[in-house]
Formats: sequence, C-alpha cells, structure tokens
Amino acid sequence: MINYFSRIANNTKAIVQGHWITLKYMFKPAVTIHYPDEKLVPFEAFRGALLFDSNVCISCNLCVKACPSNCIQLENAKNETGKKIAKVDWYSIDFGKCNFCRLCEEACPTKPKSVWHSLDYEVIFTKRDEMVRCWKKDFPFIGKYFDRKAQDFKDPEGQVSIHEVQPRRS
Amino acid sequence: MSDKPEEKKPEPAAVPAPAPAAAPAAAPAAAAPAPKPAPPKYVPPTPVFNRANGRLIEDRFTTWPTQVFANRWSRPGFQWGAGMLVGIFLGLGLTGFAIGELSVWAARVYAILGGEPFKKFFLFGPTVVFPVKLAPLAVDAIWTAIKVLIVLHVVLINGLWSIWWERKISAHIQSRVGPTYAGSPSGWNFHGWAQTAIDGIKLLLKEDITPAAADKWVHALAPGLVVAPCIIAFAPVLFGDGMQAANLDIGTLYIFAFAGISVIGVVMAGWASGNKYSLLGGLRGAAQIVSYELPRGFSIVPVLMFAGSLDLQVISNAQAGYWHGVIPRWFIFYPVVGQLAFVIFLIASVAETNRTPFDIPEAESELVSGFHTEYSGMKWSIFFLAEYAYVLLGSFLLATFFLGGGASPINAVPFTLIPSWMWMLGKAMLMMFVFLWIRWTLPRFRVDQLMDFTWKFLLPWSFVNIAIAGLYLAFWLK
Amino acid sequence: MSNMMTAADASTMPELKTDQLFINLGPQHPSTHGVLRIGLTIEGEVIVKAVPDIGYLHRGTEKLAEVRNYHHCVVLTDRWDYVSAMPNNLVFCLAAEKLAGVKTTPRADALRVIMCEMNRIASHLLFFGTYGIDLGAYTPFLYAFREREMVLDLFEMLCGARLTYNYIRLGGVMVDASPEWLKRTGEFIEYFKPRLDEYDTLLTYNPIFMARTKGVGIVTAEEAKSWALSGPNLRGSGVNYDVRKFAPYSGYENYDFDVPVGTDGSCWDRYFCRVSEMRQSVRIIEQAIAKLPAGPFMASGFAKVPKPVPGEAYAHVEASRGDLGIYLASDGGISPFRMHVHAPSFINLAMLQEKLVGMKVSDVIALLGSIDIVLGEVDR
Repeated sequence: MINYFSRIANNTKAIVQGHWITLKYMFKPAVTIHYPDEKLVPFEAFRGALLFDSNVCISCNLCVKACPSNCIQLENAKNETGKKIAKVDWYSIDFGKCNFCRLCEEACPTKPKSVWHSLDYEVIFTKRDEMVRCWKKDFPFIGKYFDRKAQDFKDPEGQVSIHEVQPRRS
Repeated sequence: MSDKPEEKKPEPAAVPAPAPAAAPAAAPAAAAPAPKPAPPKYVPPTPVFNRANGRLIEDRFTTWPTQVFANRWSRPGFQWGAGMLVGIFLGLGLTGFAIGELSVWAARVYAILGGEPFKKFFLFGPTVVFPVKLAPLAVDAIWTAIKVLIVLHVVLINGLWSIWWERKISAHIQSRVGPTYAGSPSGWNFHGWAQTAIDGIKLLLKEDITPAAADKWVHALAPGLVVAPCIIAFAPVLFGDGMQAANLDIGTLYIFAFAGISVIGVVMAGWASGNKYSLLGGLRGAAQIVSYELPRGFSIVPVLMFAGSLDLQVISNAQAGYWHGVIPRWFIFYPVVGQLAFVIFLIASVAETNRTPFDIPEAESELVSGFHTEYSGMKWSIFFLAEYAYVLLGSFLLATFFLGGGASPINAVPFTLIPSWMWMLGKAMLMMFVFLWIRWTLPRFRVDQLMDFTWKFLLPWSFVNIAIAGLYLAFWLK
Repeated sequence: MSNMMTAADASTMPELKTDQLFINLGPQHPSTHGVLRIGLTIEGEVIVKAVPDIGYLHRGTEKLAEVRNYHHCVVLTDRWDYVSAMPNNLVFCLAAEKLAGVKTTPRADALRVIMCEMNRIASHLLFFGTYGIDLGAYTPFLYAFREREMVLDLFEMLCGARLTYNYIRLGGVMVDASPEWLKRTGEFIEYFKPRLDEYDTLLTYNPIFMARTKGVGIVTAEEAKSWALSGPNLRGSGVNYDVRKFAPYSGYENYDFDVPVGTDGSCWDRYFCRVSEMRQSVRIIEQAIAKLPAGPFMASGFAKVPKPVPGEAYAHVEASRGDLGIYLASDGGISPFRMHVHAPSFINLAMLQEKLVGMKVSDVIALLGSIDIVLGEVDR
C-alpha cells in the first residue's frame, strides 16, 4: 500500500519536474537563426564551395591526384610553339562528385592557394550543367559553367554567396 | 589557417628590370645570371561580405545557448517574444469584451423580431416596428439560426487561433520561434499571425486524394462524422453567465453523448482508407476513446453531486462565493476530491482528443499518421479542426466544472467587475495552454499501458472520489 | 483484439482469431532511421514474424577503397557512420598506421581522443533526441539538437566540416587545436553538464518513458554475446566490454573513466548506457584538455602516396555504436588490396529478426530505436 502511494507520488513528481523544465525554456529566448534573413558566417576553416584562381595556378596536377573522387580536371596552357607551360588553360571541378574534403587545397603548392575552399555554404544547382564549374583565364573565382544548350559559358545562377569578394587562403 | 587577406605590403611595384632591349647588348655576360624579372606579386583582394541577402552573423558564438540564455534581454526580438503572452491575452480579453457587450443586444434583437417597437438606429431616430410580422415559431427559428452560426464560428475561429497558438507555444518550449513571417509582405507579420489562415487556404487548394483501395463513400463521410458531433456538442457549453446556445438541463450528459459519437468517424476513417496503418490506428482509436469515456464521465460525478444538477449554468452558479471571503468556492478547491476529479478529468480529456501522451491512434512514429494517413487537403484539415474543437470543448468544460465558470478568482473590486465571459475565456485559454504544455513534454503510452492506466488507475480512483464526495455531502456540505 | 487473448482463450475460441496482416515498415517510414525495411506479419498488435531487409543504402565502400590510395580512403570512411565520422576516420588511420609502422605523436593522440569523444556526445545526443521522437516526445529532440549544434560548431571551427570531417589523417590529425578552440570546448563542457541532468528529468526517469522501455526487448548477456553485439547494446545487457578499456588505443589508458553497464538488457538499459556514456565522455574530454601534450600534431613517415609493405592489419575502436573494426590487406601497391569493415550497426541489427517476434507494434519502434543503427554503416 505504501509502495503504491509512493510510486504514484514519485511518478507525479517526475512528470511535474519535466513540465517545469519545458516551462523554463519557454521563457528563454530562441536559439534559432532566421535563415534567409540572418546568415551565419562560417568559421575561417570552413570547407565550402571550391574557388579557383587561374592566374596563380601552375598547372602541376597535384590537386587532380589528391582528389579522392576524381572531380578535378585541368589542361595546361601552351605557348606559341605548342609547348606546355606552367599556366592553366582550363580547369574544372565537378561539384556533383566533390567530397569537400580539403585534400586538393592541402595539395596545392602555390602561395596563395590557387584552389581553396570558400566560406560559401549556399551552393545551389538548378541544372546538371551547373554542377561542373569551369575556369579559364580571367574568369572570376567562383567560375562559370558551360551551358551545353547555348554552347556558352555562363555565370552560375542561384549562387548565393556569403562574400562578394572571397577571402583567400595562403 | 587564416584566410584573412594577406596584409603584406605589395612589393614596390615589381621594379621592372631594365627593358631587355636596352641592356643586353651592353653586358650580355653579366645579364645572363641576373634574376629574371620577378613576376608581379599577387595582391589578394580584401574580402567583402555580401550583405545584400540578409543580416550576417559574424560572431558565431553569439548564437550559442551559453550566450543566448545568459543575456536574454539583449537578444533581438526577445522583448517582443516575452511580451507575446501578455499581448495575446490582452487582445483576447478585448475581443471577448466586445463580443460579450454585443450579446447584451441579443435579447433586444429577439424582442424586435417578435414585434417590439424600437428606434430606427437603435440609439436614436424615429421609433419603428420590425416590418415583417413573424410567427413566434419563425422568430425562434431565426433566433436559433443566429445562435447556431455563433457557435459554429466559435469552433472555426478556434481552429485558426489554437493551431497558431499551439505552434507558437511548442516552438518557444523547444527554444525555437515558430511561425514568424506569415502575415503581410510589407512587414506587419506579428509572430506569423496569419499562418493558420494561409495554411487553411493551402489545404483548400490541395488535391483531394482518395486512394484507389479506399471505400469512397465511407472515406468521404468520415471527416464529417468526426467534426459534426463536436460542433453539436458545443450547444450547451457555457461561455459566460447565461451565455449558452441551448440552456439544457441535461447539458453535461448531452455534451458527453455527442462527443462520444466522433469515435465512429475515427473507425470509419481507419477502415475506409484501405491502409493497414490506418486500420490499426482506427481500431486503437476506438478502444482508447471508448475506454476514456468512463473515467471522464465518472470523474465529474462529484461535481454533479455537489451542484445537484446536470445543467452547466447551475454547476457554474454553485461555485459562486468565497470561503472566508478569500478562497473561491470552486470545485477544484474542495480538498482531495476536487483536485483528484480535476486531474482525472484533465487526463481523460487529453486522451479523448488523441493528444500526445495518448496519441496512439495517430502515433506518428509507429503508424505514420494513424487513421488519417490517407487523408489530404480539406478532409485532413477537418480532422485537425475537430481535434482542436475538442480541445476547446475540454477547456471550457474544465473551466465550468472546476474553475468556477465565470467567477472571479479574487474577491476584490477590480476583478469582480470584469465580466464573466472574460473570466471564462481566460480560464479556458489557461486550460488550453495546459493541454499544449502536456503535449510538448511527455512521451507516448503503449496501447496496453493506456488501457491499464484507464481501467486500473483512473477508473478505480474516480470511484473512490465519488465515495469521498458522498462523505462530504453527508457530513460537511449538508 | 487478439493481444487481449490468452493462449487458453485462443484455443477455446479459435473462430475469434484474427487474420494475419503483413505490414511494410519502411523503407520510407518516420522511425526506421533511414532506409531500413522490416516486413512485419502481425496479428492484432502482436508480431508473429519479422524480416528485416537492408541494402537500400549500399555504396560499395569496401570495393571503392581498392582503387584509391590510403589518403583517399579516409574520405570514404566518413560516409559509413555519418553521425559519428571521427571514429571511422580513426579506425582506418590506426589500421593503416599499423600497416606502415608509423607511430603517432602524443598530441595527435590526445586530439584524436578529444574529437572522438566529442563525436560520441554528438552521436548519442542524436540518439537521445530521435529515441524521444520514436516514443512520442518531441521536445527532447530539439533540446538535444541545440547542444549537438554546439559540438558541430566546434568541429567546424577546427576542421571546417560539420558532418564528414576527414579530420583524423594518416599519421596524425589535419590541423592543430588552437587555444581559442580549447577554451570554447571547455565552455561547451561546462554548459553541457547540467543539461544532462535535465535530459534525465525530461526523458530518462519519466514514468511513461520508463514504462515504454523497461522490460521491453530484453537481450540477455548470453544472447548478446552469441549475437556478437557490441557497444552500448552489449553493455546494456550487463557485459562489461569496452575496447577503450580492454584494448586501449590512442592513449585511452591514460584517462580515468568508467564503463557504464546496464543490468537486464532492456531498451531502457541500452538507452541509459548511452546517456551515461555522455557523462564519461565529458570526463575524458576534460582530462584530455587539461593534459594536452605539446608537440607536433602530425607524425612523419607517410608519403604523399603511401605504399605499405605487403601484409595485413586489423584495428578496432570503440565507436559510438560499438566495436568498429577494420581489416586492411596490402599487396605493396598504392591502394589496399582488401578493406573489410566490421560494422557494429550491421551486427547489432541482426538481433531484430528474432527479438521482434511476440512484441507489439509500438515496441518495434522502441527496440529499433534503442539499437541505434545508422543505415550508412549497415549497408556501407
């Protein structure tokens, strides 16, 4: 009998304590972010969408070898005599395959890095073509994509970036 | 690691080596080992945040609960959030006040319909008589229609209000904010006030799917059979002193009788959907609702014994007055028996509405959505409406049976002057908050535990309660 | 309903027996935690037959490893148990280091321990939250994610990713922990300790929760051993086995912590083991931060493209879900000749088929949730 009542009392107490916790948090402010209106700036180490600088790249192929998913391709530039030089002609990253693992950035020997992770976590693709970013000489860091229908390079649509001018890792 | 812009000085303009055309002829031997002109040093551009797309939170740690909870008042918008409840209750009170004041005119309208002369613009103007001479039966019919419309709108508007309130309460309990944006594009979107209305429009426009395996007619009929008894059950509900659509002397029985019919709709929905999860949900719902009818009914027997009537108005009036001029004579303050009856009735009401500790007919994690898995669009939202209508019904009944109806809790002048419908509404809303609070705190029972709980715990205790109430009547409240 | 009938009733009233019903629980179901499918044959609410069906998330990681070099394989490991990827990284690196004969530095070991324990907290918080949802309590889920978010923030601050870290590398770790990071971690730990008590009040000792989980899905110690269960599932049955204690790696022998052990192997015991493990993880992290040795965080000895001598290596760690082992065979080439994963989720899942029989539909969810599977690891 005493057991029965003490069980009821204990259970009631536990349930009331649980309600007390939820009531307590009701009067504390929310921890959430209003995402499209408020945006978190990631930490400096963040591994966002990859950026590329065609002016710095020496076309050494280390990033291609470092990539676990073979998503990077590049072609050396050639001088007038047709000999390969340490400049990149074109460079492409397939974001459909990219692991965001930072191995290419770590492998890049140039200073500052010619391929590096931006802080951009808002990479949006609306078309399959858009997933393959291409860079040629004097393309912007975020690159362009090749629209197969229009047979032309286009700026990625729907690319919402945290930065207008991207920071650079050394 | 730092991705800060390199703040090195750019090399002094990459001192261009003397133009090759000028020097080489002079000293070819010396020029050969001389370093090639250094490529221009790359100067990284200074990063610029793109602030066009929203406010950027650069210090991530300001979003950590450690900081958010520590200085809560500095959090943007928290002042609004904290004042929300106050504002809502104030607004509700004003609305209730307006509605209540309008009701004074109701008797007058009734008389006018019956042929009593009245001033043309009610307060001034020539005295006229209602142009159509109505038979007494027609007057009553019109009068009833008006009352029915009012009760119907109570249920519908309650759907709008309580769903929004549930979303806000659950969000704040869970450290979220809930609906924030719905409202107006120009920015008057106070806590997403229009969320439910817009959701309702969305549900109206959604495709109404009847599964191929469903029994078409039963499937379509089930939502109606759930919601109709619920609206009918609102007829004798007391909204304030004398504010009932139908003043029935068996009001309590009437409400319980009609509220019990909805279970047929639940079973029909579960059966007709042609879905095994729905079938299980419907069967569980039938077992649960039928079982919880019993403790729910027996728990208020003490109340009925004390009040000596089944009429809700009489029950409410029986709680008027104060002990020693301080403690209100509400049934919840009757020692032991009042609290026990209140708790049992509250638990059984939660179970009747299929809400969380007892939501096994819907049991999202087990039965996907239980008996309304296969419902979409407006049919589904009618189930939803019925659930919230039952919550409101339960809240009003709790306020009437245990919290003194329209009586003021404090026996002092400013409080006793507040009209009864406002007290009633306030108490009902408090009870509704308790419903929501329970839902967002507790986990769910299992089917057999649910049955054990009602048959082996709630029902025996409600019998014990009746016995204690009998002792009270015999020795204390003679 | 048939679950109300005793055996005697059923024999005297055979005409009241209901038809058996086949229910597809999954692969799209709110509480199968991924793409697990269970074919349930039920009678009323009681299960008479259960057939788990896996393979919806198979990606062939073991085969993929055979065409990648060792550095690349670390990236693959992130995708097994994506809820706690640090131990996955770690176990591959331990095996590869054994194969190559490289010894890690003390600082790297300490950082590995900190990260693995933080990941254990994050993983168990996810378990705690989703188990609450399985049993109908929504609010603990949001509370758990509020805290988990802080752990993920710390991971992001250090290694740049929130889910697939690729932090633990062959020979060490990716980057060194800054003093700022260590300070923030301490801040999180201080914040987290009282939260654990709140979780206990909200869920662990909630009477409804205890009624739902105590005495449900009991796995005895013998059964647990014979099914080769590991992790909290094994310890919940009262078997005191933890790789961190019995085959210490990465310097776990230097830390003082207890191994929480359950009593009767019910869902509640498995659940309670995990909640208690969070407290132990907090202890380990505190100790590791207090005595974090200085020095390099990456050992030398791994080439850009390592080519270990032909041989085999097996390493196992106590991952969040149990004893995660990896077997690596090298033929001297740049990629492993064979990689085999001993995945705890897959092995723990095996008990479903027998254990589910005779349970009620609600208990299926309670048992399935308490095993704490991650389908990425089950199917690999």
